[in-house]
Amino acid sequence: MDIKIDPIKCIACCACELACGYHWDDAMSPITSSIIVYRTREKKNYFGLMLKTEENLVLARPEGIEIQRIGEVQEGVEADPSAKPIMLRDACDMCDGVDGPLCVRFCPTGALYL
Amino acid sequence: MGNLTNETILIVDLASGETYKEDIDEEFYESHIGGVRINLALFEKYQEEDPIILGTGLLTGTLVPGSALGIVTAKSPQTGKVCHAPICIYGGMELKYAGFDFVVIKGISPNPVYLWLHDEVADINDAVDLMGKDSWATTDELRKSLGEDIIQVLNIGPAGERQSDLAQIILNYWATGDRWGFGKLLGQKNVKAIALRGMGIFDLEDEEGFVDACADLFKAFKDEPSLSGKKGIIDIAAAMGEDITDWLSPIIHRHSADYNCPYPINTFVKYNEDPTILKETDVAETGFYLTDIYGLLEFKKMGLSAEDSCRMLEACAREGINAVAAADLLRKTGKTALNDLKQAVSGLTGPIESPEDSVFSPWSPKQPLFVDFGLPDDGSRNSEWWVRRQAVAYLFGIHPIFILMAPMLTEEKLINAVNLGTGLNITADTVDEAIKKVCG
Ligand code: SF4
Ligand code: SF4
Repeated sequence: MDIKIDPIKCIACCACELACGYHWDDAMSPITSSIIVYRTREKKNYFGLMLKTEENLVLARPEGIEIQRIGEVQEGVEADPSAKPIMLRDACDMCDGVDGPLCVRFCPTGALYL
Repeated sequence: MGNLTNETILIVDLASGETYKEDIDEEFYESHIGGVRINLALFEKYQEEDPIILGTGLLTGTLVPGSALGIVTAKSPQTGKVCHAPICIYGGMELKYAGFDFVVIKGISPNPVYLWLHDEVADINDAVDLMGKDSWATTDELRKSLGEDIIQVLNIGPAGERQSDLAQIILNYWATGDRWGFGKLLGQKNVKAIALRGMGIFDLEDEEGFVDACADLFKAFKDEPSLSGKKGIIDIAAAMGEDITDWLSPIIHRHSADYNCPYPINTFVKYNEDPTILKETDVAETGFYLTDIYGLLEFKKMGLSAEDSCRMLEACAREGINAVAAADLLRKTGKTALNDLKQAVSGLTGPIESPEDSVFSPWSPKQPLFVDFGLPDDGSRNSEWWVRRQAVAYLFGIHPIFILMAPMLTEEKLINAVNLGTGLNITADTVDEAIKKVCG
């Protein structure tokens, strides 16, 4: 099972990145999160989310959800700036062992759900 | 790096072109807490060199809801007093993640420069090619040359360069809560911009305790019935007694949030393409991000349409001027046509009315939003309550508007979060002392 995403509900608050970063590092940092808020088109107010799972890269953009198989990720996705490119990050493990996925718990809008 | 902090002050000496770092020790945090209190201490220490201080709170950039705030402290050219302006969206957190809790910018650079603060490195770079550019072009240019589109760019437009009293520090393309003319100070120092980007990581003393405390605060916000369904600038205006729904709704695109704020305080409007289009188009500049409620309301009061008001806010942000002061001066010109008003923006000069006597920016509404906080209905205690709420926000690094709608962010809870996260022993008495010192 993967996290589900409703990109239209997202408000780009980045709480999910921080929560996921905590899951991986036990610290406050968004640099290792398996989920990234995609916010490079600021003047257009165009934003969405990228989630790395074991098998897929899930692109949740206002247009809808697009799933790319890891290994077949199209050019351009990795070029999106982030502290560490998403393909180098750990895949979401649904917060293995923790009481409920942290990103879902901290998402204020219901953009992330199970 | 320490718990919830880099433990670092960056000193930028513009006259010599040198930068160096100083450590902050635990005792200093324990007595001063952080945020605006440390900004003020640094201002006082370096006041002979007309410093501009940038700072963050111990909770800036953390999972505590509303942790978006960075603070600029300097002597306001408008009021002649030491004042504090908020830097929100992703600007406050990026400063901290860039590796600097505080930055002292002192002296005057002999040539135009910009500061590039990234991954604990501070560069002073030549800005000759940026001079004369408006804030939008400056941000575009710096992001292109530095290679990342999410670099945060505090900058001045042409107004700051010509040292106008109206000059505002802009964050990327958008208005900030700088109502103090701090853009003029950067212009005087020959600093066109401060670019920020970082990959910081902040340890926690009691990891689970801190995150559980954040989750509880977060849940309390989500469960607050008065906040249910509220979003964006329209609902904030409604709470202030201004009904702008019919006026603004036709051009609204989406609402979005400052860093880790569960309420989307800002609203994006589109007037260069259909606002209902959510997918990406080829239109590069689609509209404007509304971050200044009073600026919007001032242009509305002039009788402008929502679209023209937002276009005026864009013109002010590009020029790098405070929209509230600009609207006030423009009203006095008697001009009403959009093009005449836009053209007048670049030539505006004072006198402007000084914002009243608080040291905190009046960008934040002087009242509770959505929730009554147990205050009397007649508003008789709003002013004193607001100053305390702002002081707390600026001390810990919480968004100064968000804190007006978040009664769960009590002083006790924030102190608890800081102590869990850092292992410090901050007390309510220390908070009182810090606030007393900051409020004078
Ligand atoms: S479920 Fe856990 S690991 Fe997966 S994206 Fe969310 S926070 Fe990260
Ligand atoms: S926490 Fe939710 S609303 Fe915030 S950025 Fe993540 S998905 Fe979007």
